[in-house]
Amino acid sequence: MIPSSGKARAELAVLGAPAILFTLALIAFPFCYTVWLGFQKVQLGGGQSFVGAANYAHMLADPVFWSGLRVSLVLYVVSLVMQLVAGTYLALLLFNAKRMPGPLRALLISPFMLPPVVAGMMFLVVLDPSIGAANYLLQSVGLPPSDWLASPQWVVPTIALIDTWQWAPYVALIVLGGLQSLPASVYEAAQIDGASGLRTFRRITLPLLLPTLATATILRSVDLLRFFDIIYITTQGGPNDASNTLNIYGFRVGFEFFQFGYAAALAVTLTAIVLGAVLLLNQMRNAVAW
Amino acid sequence: MPASTAVRALTLAALVAARVPQAQAADFDWTKYKGTTITFLANNNAVGNAVAKHKAEFEKLTGMTVKVDTYQEQQMRQRLVTVLNARSNEVDVFMTLVSREGAQFAGAGWYTDLGAFKADASPDYDFAGLSPVLVQAATIDGKLTSIPTNVEGPVIYYRKDVFAKCGVAFPTALDAFPDAAKAIKACNPGMTPFVSRGLRDALAYTYSNFVHNMGGRYMRDGKSDLCSAPNKAALGLYAGLLKEYGPPGVVNYTFNQISSLYRTGRAAIAFESTNEFPAMMEGGAREADTAIAVLPPGPGGSVPTGLGWGLSISPFSTKRAPAWYLVQWATSPAMQAELARDGIAAPRAKIAEDPDYKAFIAAKPIRQEWQNAVDAIARTGSSEIGFPIVANPASRGPIGQSVDEVLLAAKTVDQACADADRSLDALIAGQ
Repeated sequence: MIPSSGKARAELAVLGAPAILFTLALIAFPFCYTVWLGFQKVQLGGGQSFVGAANYAHMLADPVFWSGLRVSLVLYVVSLVMQLVAGTYLALLLFNAKRMPGPLRALLISPFMLPPVVAGMMFLVVLDPSIGAANYLLQSVGLPPSDWLASPQWVVPTIALIDTWQWAPYVALIVLGGLQSLPASVYEAAQIDGASGLRTFRRITLPLLLPTLATATILRSVDLLRFFDIIYITTQGGPNDASNTLNIYGFRVGFEFFQFGYAAALAVTLTAIVLGAVLLLNQMRNAVAW
Repeated sequence: MPASTAVRALTLAALVAARVPQAQAADFDWTKYKGTTITFLANNNAVGNAVAKHKAEFEKLTGMTVKVDTYQEQQMRQRLVTVLNARSNEVDVFMTLVSREGAQFAGAGWYTDLGAFKADASPDYDFAGLSPVLVQAATIDGKLTSIPTNVEGPVIYYRKDVFAKCGVAFPTALDAFPDAAKAIKACNPGMTPFVSRGLRDALAYTYSNFVHNMGGRYMRDGKSDLCSAPNKAALGLYAGLLKEYGPPGVVNYTFNQISSLYRTGRAAIAFESTNEFPAMMEGGAREADTAIAVLPPGPGGSVPTGLGWGLSISPFSTKRAPAWYLVQWATSPAMQAELARDGIAAPRAKIAEDPDYKAFIAAKPIRQEWQNAVDAIARTGSSEIGFPIVANPASRGPIGQSVDEVLLAAKTVDQACADADRSLDALIAGQ
């Protein structure tokens, strides 16, 4: 309710001021500054000049940008599909296995609590083609070893696999919440009608879960489109540019090559892509709400 | 200053047998800035860790406090650039690699001219005893950007027991390496014959030695020269060795994977930094069966890659005079003798004549081989790692990319060098 008296309004303004200042200082200012920086050529040590859209023109002519965009989108789609499938499966497992011991449940959902850097370091060792456990396991069952993160063909699926290992449990938690809120009466009716388990899943569970899955999709999309930490720890964007996402490329341009204006233009473009994706997915979520 | 500076220094043969002073000069007031706190931004490498390890000795000597902020190299540089670009006084002393960022940082005015502080040095500091060529390399536009803390470069660590068992002689020429690696592979299939850096942004350090020994150089007449005959030979040889005889996944290898592979006995030859000597020998398993040598000469002779980290003072520090005390202490003869015993090759020739250091070196034969390799680097090395341009860090990417493209069989040598030349010419033109 909006206070009517002037005094009450003043009090409200005073009380709200810290939050507004905090938002302006820590969110609005860095964002606006980055947008402004995208139109500048920045000299190390101070001094910058307005260059209009030159950084964006350079970006459009930069093959590494297009390759980074392609890698970002492929990694996004592959990871998202894997995480939604694995997360839904895990949620169904947790939902139906009522007698599963608590510690085992905790263990199943624990990976997303690990810092991504730890997960990256761990898989760096596990997937090492020479000394890693992954190739040892493959060879012990008669399969050929893989170069994993060192293969230009396999590096994106491998990174998607690591991220899925870490974040599918998070998706599972969201889906589990959705499963627990589904009306029991629908299932009772399906049971009376003699619907099989698979048919019940396809025709009842999945459609009713769509709003929940849409929420999980939005949350994971934001993270996946600006995916950075595990890639930086494991491959730094390599081999060559095979896993060089826009975020990794922007970081290298900014902090390895010190081209801050161009890095800002890349960051703004990435932000626009993330915002666009979220808006689109939000529309889709509204469309499947029930 | 050209980013590339030939290092022709440290003529150890001409040394006088001078003892390194064991005590600091009595008439120098080390406690002048007692109570001051200095912030030191350090790289988490052997040099930074060795200085940090001894910081309590500095604090005891001066009554100052040193706050050490240690990060991995890239993160350290990221923090440093942020702090310096903001003109913040958060950092007083920082580590710098002049061969990489020297021209950029000097152009930005991010180095304090340390030449002005020489007058305020302890009498036993012996500025003239520092490698004149490293000092010259650290001097840009007449200003001393940093004081060298070490000399380092890539050298061959090899398993002499494996070579003996396989009846293979250590190659005396660079182009004989593939044959040696092939013979080792045939004789010992479970062992990686050769390992060196394959990670795109890290491999210029090791690859440059191949370029120079082959008689190549990165630039000629202001243009990228990667498709010259010597450069193409270097590209084919380095990438070919890694492709045919390197470990699986070598395209992601840098110093830590290489040290780990060699230390655990899985590689016959490792081409990696002298700074990795302690890591290679950790646990003692490799001390008896390892030999160390510089890369064998090629058509261009023997031109090892040589460089050194340095200590600089931020121009935005409000404690530059106290900060100089930390710099002069860390680079003093006494301290550098201590660091040398930690495996950090000193940029002071006289350290080699220090009796304690001599005893340290004599204690294990492998240490003498390491010292000999360091001496060779100091005498004949080149610090041209990547292109001698302000955008040196960015130039290392296309170099590494060309090697990895050949290594991964994505392109031929001709295609890879031509594409790299195009990228690098654009980079040079854009400066």
